[in-house]
Amino acid sequence: MTPRVFTRFAAWIDAPQPALRLELVRVFAPLAVLGFMSGRLVHAGEWLGQAGFRVPDMGGDPRQPLFIPAIPTPAAWAVVTLMVVAGICTSMGVRARFSAFVFAMTLAFVSLSDRLAAFTVSKISPVIMLAVALGPAASRIGFDAWLRVRRGEPPGPYARPLGSIRFLQVFLPVFYCASGLAKMGGDWMVVPRVLYSHLHDSYQTPISFFLATHMPVWAWTPMQVTVLAFEALSPLWLGWRRTRTLGMLYGVGMHVMIGLMFGPVIWFALLMISLLVGCYLPDGWVARLDARLTGG
Amino acid sequence: MSSGRMVTSEKMRRIARVALRTVAVLYLCGLWLDAVGCSAPSRVLPNAVDYFMQVAALFPEVAGGAIDYRAEGWVCADARWQELDTRPYFPLDPDSKENRFQRALNFYREDTVVHRALDDYLVARHDAAVADDGIPRDKPIGGVRFIRVRIPIPPPGAPEKPFARSALDAVPRADKELLYRTPHARIVERCGAGAAEPTEHE
Repeated sequence: MTPRVFTRFAAWIDAPQPALRLELVRVFAPLAVLGFMSGRLVHAGEWLGQAGFRVPDMGGDPRQPLFIPAIPTPAAWAVVTLMVVAGICTSMGVRARFSAFVFAMTLAFVSLSDRLAAFTVSKISPVIMLAVALGPAASRIGFDAWLRVRRGEPPGPYARPLGSIRFLQVFLPVFYCASGLAKMGGDWMVVPRVLYSHLHDSYQTPISFFLATHMPVWAWTPMQVTVLAFEALSPLWLGWRRTRTLGMLYGVGMHVMIGLMFGPVIWFALLMISLLVGCYLPDGWVARLDARLTGG
Repeated sequence: MSSGRMVTSEKMRRIARVALRTVAVLYLCGLWLDAVGCSAPSRVLPNAVDYFMQVAALFPEVAGGAIDYRAEGWVCADARWQELDTRPYFPLDPDSKENRFQRALNFYREDTVVHRALDDYLVARHDAAVADDGIPRDKPIGGVRFIRVRIPIPPPGAPEKPFARSALDAVPRADKELLYRTPHARIVERCGAGAAEPTEHE
């Protein structure tokens, strides 16, 4: 029984996937990450360097996963420059796999270096970029693909085994399901206005203020229920072929609303949308998009 | 390439593939377990690895109010506490709760080591007179107070104004909680002997 499960799992991982899925993640995810980082990048000296506040060495305190002392300010600027260049190169497909690896390393460094400015995007982006680096990034579109064609070589195949995309296709439902279960273990099952309660602090945007003051308060509870139903049951929504597109569209819609209603969370929303689209866009749509982009 | 070498490289590739898949499965298990409240990953893994798995438990609890951390400085010349705007010294995301000063006090709300480090940092930055922080640049400060402000959420349906940062003096006393105050002796040391010093109640 067990070996058969493993064999089927391995066969699922190795089943060919359109390479364009990885390309969509490669193009758009780094842009969302750089957008998130942009407010930090312009203050490299305060963020990573010696010009800003640093939490002292807390000696193994779990709130400080690794103590990294402030680096000299010129070094801080070098790190953020490397990050930006690597991120843009990844998105454009210039030495894409190497760029994605460098991007991932710089993201991991800044995430550990300053816990105070690290959020979910900071922690998942190195993993996503490593997945991109380990796959055939820029084999279909982007600068590397264009260079190959110019050299007279054929572009990468339309479909091939893509462990990276399989990883991200599992990552999303695992992430959402875990998030949904955390909410169920918190207040979401017992307090009907959890969602409503988060609309009143410094994340508030004009849109969330408008909705908080104009929408009937009871309407937030069904929204809260649908978010919970989507997240906790996401392995079903995104795993079952018949509900997958609906699940993807709900996920995109949910993140659009999150981006509009919780100011700084917009970059997280865009990152998740890029993953949802790259991983779960229906095959027919991917084929048409691939044909249009590659002229095939 | 000889067939022996090809076999070896194919073997290595297979080992690498299995290793990568194992790491991926462990990562996903760790991420899921951490969010559902299982402490196994944090017990087994180094902090720096576990940290990258602490990502999915997003907004699990109801917000009891809008939390804002603020600071006051003890103005030596005036012998009084005055609000100190920390944003010039913590310029990342200055107006949201993602600001590093907000995060420092949120993570280390009861940690004197971090409070003292913040104290030293803010006093040094103000006294260096490099930015406008609400206290005149030519008036050194001898210490700081950190205050946690909890702005209650208006009852549903009640008239509401958009979230805005108001002056600390305008915040009702009941919504403020003192987290830290520079020790007396340190204020005296910084302001110099003879300078007026805060009483225990200030």
